Amino acid sequence: MFEEEPLFGFKAVRCTALHGILFLIAAACTQQKETTVVVEENLPVPPAQSLPGKATLSAYGFFTGELKNLQPAERVFAYELNSPLFSDYAFKKRFIYLPPGASVNYHPTDVLEFPEGTVIIKNFYYPADFRNPGTNLRILETRLLILENGSWKALPYIWNEEQTEAYLDVSGKNIEVQWIHFDGSARKVNYSIPNMNQCKGCHLRGDRVFPIGPLARQLNKTVNGQNQLARLASLGVLKSLPPLPEVPRLADYEDTSAPLDSRARAWLEVNCAHCHRPDGPAKNSGLHLTADVTKPFELGIGKPPVAAGRGSGGLHYDIVPGHPEKSILYYRITSTDPGIMMPELGKKLVHEEGVQLIRDWIASLK
Amino acid sequence: MKIIIIVILSGLCLFSCRNQSPEPVVWKSIEKDLQQRLILAEDGETIELPEGHFMFTRTLSMDGKKRITIRGKGMDKTILSWKNQTEGAEGIHISNGFNIKLEDFTIEDAKGDNLKVNDTRGVIMRRIRSQWSGGPKTENGAYALYPVLCTRVLIEECIAMGSSDAGIYVGQSDTVIIRNNKAYWNVAGIEAENSKFVEIYGNEAYENTGGILVFDLPGLTTYGHSTKVYNNIIRNNNHENFAQKGNIVATIPPGSGLMILATHDAEIFFNEISHNKTVGLAIVSYELVAALSEGQEDAPGAVAGVQTVNNRFREDTLYNPYPYRILVHRNQFKNRHWFPSMDNDVGKLLAWKSLFNPPDILFDGITDPKREDAEICIGENGKITFINLDAANDFKNLSKDASPFECLKKNPYLDLKL
Repeated sequence: MFEEEPLFGFKAVRCTALHGILFLIAAACTQQKETTVVVEENLPVPPAQSLPGKATLSAYGFFTGELKNLQPAERVFAYELNSPLFSDYAFKKRFIYLPPGASVNYHPTDVLEFPEGTVIIKNFYYPADFRNPGTNLRILETRLLILENGSWKALPYIWNEEQTEAYLDVSGKNIEVQWIHFDGSARKVNYSIPNMNQCKGCHLRGDRVFPIGPLARQLNKTVNGQNQLARLASLGVLKSLPPLPEVPRLADYEDTSAPLDSRARAWLEVNCAHCHRPDGPAKNSGLHLTADVTKPFELGIGKPPVAAGRGSGGLHYDIVPGHPEKSILYYRITSTDPGIMMPELGKKLVHEEGVQLIRDWIASLK
Repeated sequence: MKIIIIVILSGLCLFSCRNQSPEPVVWKSIEKDLQQRLILAEDGETIELPEGHFMFTRTLSMDGKKRITIRGKGMDKTILSWKNQTEGAEGIHISNGFNIKLEDFTIEDAKGDNLKVNDTRGVIMRRIRSQWSGGPKTENGAYALYPVLCTRVLIEECIAMGSSDAGIYVGQSDTVIIRNNKAYWNVAGIEAENSKFVEIYGNEAYENTGGILVFDLPGLTTYGHSTKVYNNIIRNNNHENFAQKGNIVATIPPGSGLMILATHDAEIFFNEISHNKTVGLAIVSYELVAALSEGQEDAPGAVAGVQTVNNRFREDTLYNPYPYRILVHRNQFKNRHWFPSMDNDVGKLLAWKSLFNPPDILFDGITDPKREDAEICIGENGKITFINLDAANDFKNLSKDASPFECLKKNPYLDLKL
């Protein structure tokens, strides 16, 4: 009894000490890795860096009355697209400002030819309830594309919470947004307002910034009972518009009555082809996704990835006909991991409807 | 007794911990300021990065700037981390620049590529450490240092570690020097792909899956040629292949020293190529790689998959899938390994065909039918083991005789004696 007790006690100590030490080592050594506290710090900014645009949105005078109502002033024209880019379910209101006396020239395949001084104005907002999209709106940002001295520049303006003004901020911002979705569910996203370089991430062609949306085939759409292009022509601001039947038209990917192929190609064009085109930032991949591409290999069919890294997801081809689950393209559009997902920018959420469309399309390919 | 044990053991504990993490790292954020500086930078500006550990959530980008220097206080003093990255795939992304210089800092843990520079004329990366701090993992980003579609590229005295594709990767570029760098624990240590006028010298590539690769691939904007690889140490590149499947480097057998794929006009000399257990130097065509990557079942149409891929890359009429005019001389080969890595088809084949003696130099034997002579030319390299797979004929005439490829025999005008 006397002999056993110290033995027992020793064993117990050794046991607890070892366990405790292991625990301590584990705790002490992992602790520092787990908690990365990041402290904001300012860099010494060199003096007098001039801003690349006006400090406030209101200073441009694009809108009359209360700014948040986005009532277009004179020479500011509202427009819509057949197939808009998906931006985390944000709603958009688009306008074009044209200088007095200036007009746009029609182009059959490329971006319309805009005159010097044009400003393309795109406002991003979320209604509090998507089932009631006209009321209780929260505008987050307004992006301007300004054609100045023959080249476009992209400027991001961030709205204040009071919705009375938007301010130029070249380095972007993240904003928490909540809404009630179309199906009544509560949704939220940490919405990302791009910095000025991220704007270029999508808008570059070669080394120059270009608009993406305002193509004839995107604007060839009936709005309020009238064709948009015809309306602009009748206002005298669009020149050389051919008869409407000769104008190409991109499908509306949400229009389920349109053929699956044209809907899917429209979705790919508007969500991917701003980079994935022969003169776009993703040209090094060899994957080209504008709606007019006909070569299967360029479209990704049977094409092995070039520099996808872990974006390939262990798959061998961009598109395997009939097999969305074996297609890298499908894998990447369903991801929200920044190292895998496509598009690379402006996406925190998966576009559920778009992903389903591409799934159906790849499944239909032979 | 108890007390002594406790004291000793807790002493050990403290000691062991102190050894592992000397001081808690204080991470700071200069993200908004630094990004603003890069956007508003005037041409010709130098942007100094302070000493310290800095955390970023978005890609730090710079576009369309001229003559910019971004300089830290040293690769051990200025640490930039993207461990908490939520946006963008790259850590630092520079595009459409002219004469951009990056010096003296560390980049870590981006979701995609750590440092990407594209469409830029004049790029210098000097004393940059680019790594994934958790060591080699499939989840790591693809490239540590990644200039693509650039001209006049100099990468020197850099360290690349942990890339799930290539550590130092130069793609579709013109006029490139990669010198005096270290690349280890990557799938590919150093890779030049579809690039022309490239010199790779004075580097150490060790403990990667493949040490140095010179590749030419189909379907891209431009094709590669004219590469010199010399004075490098290419050693112990036996790491398991942790590349994401589907990528071309996923086909690299562990234990590959130097690999020349489908390119032409390459000279390889004065390298120490040692203890890469599968093959020291491989000279292969894209047909072989296509066939190897087809071993897996995901081929479109499943049946005759090899053929499918072959036909697809043959659609690129500007592409030549065969290596030619490759000159290999005065390298030093060593291999203490008796067996190649066996987790791949090439390794198994070599274990069988080159028993107990993996080859120093391997040629797949697939040559351009339109070219009379591939001019694969092997000069003096000491005593070497050579194998010509004759893969074009299903290994029928596999041969270990290097004499048909001897330089002087083939190129009498070429006097390789100093």
